[in-house]
Amino acid sequence: MSRFKEIGDFAAESEGQYRLLPFRFSALNDRDEYVLSNAAGEFVVLHRVQLQNLVDKTLPTDGELFQELQAKHFVDSTGGNLSVDLLALKLRTRLHRLADFTGLHMIVVTLRCDHSCPYCQVSRQTEDRAHYDMSVELADKTLDFIFRSPSPAIKIEFQGGESLLNFEVIRHIVLEAKRRNQTYKRNLGFVAATNLSVATDEMLEFFSAEGVDVSTSLDGPRDIHNKNRPRPGKNSYEKAIAGIHRAREFVGKDRVSALMTTTEASLGRVKDIIDEYVRQGFHGIFLRKLSPYGFAVKTDAIGAYTIDEWIDFYKDGVDYIIELNRNGVRIQEFFASVILKKMLTSEDTGFVDLMSPAGIGIKALIYNYDGSVYASDEARMLAEMGDHTFRLGNVATDSYETIMLSPALLDPIDQSITVSAPMCDECAFEPYCGADPVFHHGIYGDFVGRKPESSFCTRNMATFRYLIEKMRSDPFAKGLFYQWANR
Amino acid sequence: VEHKIEVDLNVYSLDALKRSLYRFSDRLSSFIQVDSGVAICTLTFGSTASPEFISVVLDNFRKELLDQDLRDRVRKETEAVRNLILSHALSKTGLIGDESI
Repeated sequence: MSRFKEIGDFAAESEGQYRLLPFRFSALNDRDEYVLSNAAGEFVVLHRVQLQNLVDKTLPTDGELFQELQAKHFVDSTGGNLSVDLLALKLRTRLHRLADFTGLHMIVVTLRCDHSCPYCQVSRQTEDRAHYDMSVELADKTLDFIFRSPSPAIKIEFQGGESLLNFEVIRHIVLEAKRRNQTYKRNLGFVAATNLSVATDEMLEFFSAEGVDVSTSLDGPRDIHNKNRPRPGKNSYEKAIAGIHRAREFVGKDRVSALMTTTEASLGRVKDIIDEYVRQGFHGIFLRKLSPYGFAVKTDAIGAYTIDEWIDFYKDGVDYIIELNRNGVRIQEFFASVILKKMLTSEDTGFVDLMSPAGIGIKALIYNYDGSVYASDEARMLAEMGDHTFRLGNVATDSYETIMLSPALLDPIDQSITVSAPMCDECAFEPYCGADPVFHHGIYGDFVGRKPESSFCTRNMATFRYLIEKMRSDPFAKGLFYQWANR
Repeated sequence: VEHKIEVDLNVYSLDALKRSLYRFSDRLSSFIQVDSGVAICTLTFGSTASPEFISVVLDNFRKELLDQDLRDRVRKETEAVRNLILSHALSKTGLIGDESI
């Protein structure tokens, strides 16, 4: 007796002998091509005529297209429940990390900073105001809170201001967290977000000894970086580059990463920016849009470019990165990589902005220097502008239960979930996108926002369409994207 | 600039019409009145909208209405299966204390 059924047993007997499984569709381009996706994140591209035929049950069942639709669970011709069971299993796999709960814990150890960046997203305080530092007592209470999270992996990220201006509290938190973790036995990691300008050998030796990764800022070549990130001496770039080299010597090359922010000065210069990253030996870059918070709003830096200009900047950048790879230069773009992992694998990186339910609080939390707990980094930035909507409580006075069950956290998560948000509920890109209630509240005044007017929606849709079109038109890019998705 | 269109509700559902109009809410505001099975939509464009712009928007709106009609069909046909998939996927998560995984 054969172990497997014959292939014919899985084929429809004739046209119309299949049932539709749930899917959504969205226009891909103005050539009447549509993206179809299902809850498991599988996608196909069909012409409008094929889509109509599919729904009318007149699609030929003996062709490759039908096989693909069946393999990806858009149709079922077997009459059994196998497709339903597999779809449920795949959906469950995509969502399984939600149960882990909060893994990323960002601690603002100080608001002080030696830079005066006009776009600063953190509304920094001047360097001499020591009362903007977190105390050791509050750091301990923050750790009490962090270890209440059931997540098997805990990453503690130190932020500022310039985090290293309160290095003593960083040192205390790292050592104390490790001591406590002998009991809790979590997969514990640390990252220091720093501009490196005040990094000493002692600090870097400590990072090396204790396994603290370094995340720094590099906005591009000297002129762009120094324009974006002014500091006394006008030498931010020189200090950043020197800091990167020194940090690599101490903690290792692969443990030092850099982030860039796109400003008006960056537009038209994306190749120069990417070249700078290549020149400095980075194998990845995150082409990041300016967040509409903090000093970026006060100084109107956010109004310096439109979402369409940013999309052009982004596409030019990824096009260039593909060409570099084609010529043997290994570099990836991280925003694309996050999306591609969602599109091409069953995994999800847990990138907070692209999660639904929203990742605020349940994926990441931020603890301000004064013990205040916010639902996300952006929520803290809003608070610095006077909007405390997403302030969940304070580690000094509120319990874990009070904070994590706070309406300030549960209401935005509940209201913004994409499967029930207008327009998102029918969007083929929903499995790859996310709810961003903090952004939509900050810009549009409610947790959902009207998607036709949402720049979050415009940016993401443009990116999804661009990546899919790229994979369809360029086999090399498709292969490269699969590599990025599986790293 | 105001423009009126009539939609036969025997052909398209009111839900499909509303969903279509929502998608264009960044380009126009709309008001719907139903009379004898016909939805009369008053579409208001900004004062700077050119005739060409309005023409393109209306063309795209008609295409969107067809898409929404198709979505309506898929949604209705697959509703039971969708609920089954979701109930399978989200059952026995262990998030409730006495629930087995």
